[in-house]
Amino acid sequence: MRLAGKRALVTGGRQGIGRGIVEAFRREGAAVTTCGRGPRPDNLPDDVIWYPLDVADADAVEKLASATDGTDILVNNAGVQVENTVANSTDADWEAVIGTNCRGVFNLCRAYVPRMPEGSSIINIGSISGRVADPSMALYNASKAFVHGLTRSIAVDHGPKIRCNAICPGWIETGMLDAGFELASDPAAAREDALARHAVRRFGRPEDIASMAVWLASDEAAFATGQLFTVDGGMTAASPLNPGLF
Amino acid sequence: MKLEGKTALVTGGRGGIGRAIVSRFLREGARVYAADLTPEGSLARHDDDGSIFVKLDVTQEADAVAALEQVASEAGQLDILVNAAGTEIEKTIEETSLEEWNLSFAVNVTGTFLASKHSLPLMRKAAASGASASIINFGSYDGFIADPGLAAYCATKGAVHALTRAMACDHGPEGIRVNAICPGYVDTPMLQSFFTGDGSGAGGKSIDQLQQAVRDVHPMRTFGTPEDIANLVNWLASDEARYASGQLWVLDGGLSAQVQQMKL
Repeated sequence: MRLAGKRALVTGGRQGIGRGIVEAFRREGAAVTTCGRGPRPDNLPDDVIWYPLDVADADAVEKLASATDGTDILVNNAGVQVENTVANSTDADWEAVIGTNCRGVFNLCRAYVPRMPEGSSIINIGSISGRVADPSMALYNASKAFVHGLTRSIAVDHGPKIRCNAICPGWIETGMLDAGFELASDPAAAREDALARHAVRRFGRPEDIASMAVWLASDEAAFATGQLFTVDGGMTAASPLNPGLF
Repeated sequence: MKLEGKTALVTGGRGGIGRAIVSRFLREGARVYAADLTPEGSLARHDDDGSIFVKLDVTQEADAVAALEQVASEAGQLDILVNAAGTEIEKTIEETSLEEWNLSFAVNVTGTFLASKHSLPLMRKAAASGASASIINFGSYDGFIADPGLAAYCATKGAVHALTRAMACDHGPEGIRVNAICPGYVDTPMLQSFFTGDGSGAGGKSIDQLQQAVRDVHPMRTFGTPEDIANLVNWLASDEARYASGQLWVLDGGLSAQVQQMKL
């Protein structure tokens, strides 16, 4: 029970990576609160507190922060993905991606940093896409690079009181990944090609990311701050120009 | 007990960081081979901690072969290899002799190459039995950004980073994960010799003042301990890290997250 006695807030815990982190934190003994747009999911365990919240709404975030005391672990996981190049992106795309992925993380950090106790840990979900560009994902890539930069700033400005790190997941089996493959002319072939680019020959699962989040949230990571931790099955370690794939 | 039933070999296993890794692995239930030049290692003392000492000069292929033969005959397989043996020459390239340059590469790069190469057959056996086999190399934050007067060291650590990615690419499909940990300033005999080795560069500061100045540059305002490093080695060695491969894991108290000149 590596998180016994700790209180955690995980944004976007309805499904996918966020839900994986909620479940892993529970198993390690943390008291977990999560939130998302819309009503409480039916299958959320009873001991997990749910708040309906749009992280882009600064007033609502501030209200939640003032009502919740002593949060030791904040995971900024809520995120949206819009597939578009810069040239094709609309104002609505900008509002959706930047509103949730950038302003949402900022809103949460601004509201919680002053209220978090000594020794707290903030974990932002960045992305390998914030370090190397995924095609036709311009605003998403940029929003994740924003998260990476904000992570370092919080670590530098608010250490030693608060540690702040980001996890950069690779391709994780969630609805977002399937939506990506559907864009390809041959989704099955795209999936095969993507698998061949992973040293471990599989995509990630939410629990792969959750196990890193548990470590970063725990006191074992007491010297880890300001860093981006990539967990991607080895994908970004290999050159995209792999002649074996042509 | 995250490493129960696993066998580990730690090179530099009697040194500062290596000894903390050996002791953590033992607590987690692993059978541990601590390989080093002498049982005392750089800490100049011997502890009977329950590890098995193996005499290993990582620059000598015959030593590596003999060490792995011992592991093969006693344990039959190897789940975890930690390449923690390392050396540091505190000089610019102009001051560095060819012998010093060659020694840096022999220990830090060739040593990692030799121990890994001769471990692979035993690690494939471990992977074939269903668990994930894990090699953990020692890079450094100096492999990303240069510390002054450490040219050969920076270069060897950059080489270890690239070798880590190459090994992960080549041996991932065999079930072997390869990662490197990139420590910043960790309180070890190597760091102490870095501070005391050349006090003249300290601008009139005492060694204590110099150390405090270096601590103050860190967002966490402290050096790391060998145990901090062992915490991450333990995670990477365990099956919890089964999807982590090919990465360079910086653990430096936030030092390299900031754009800041070291003012010594």
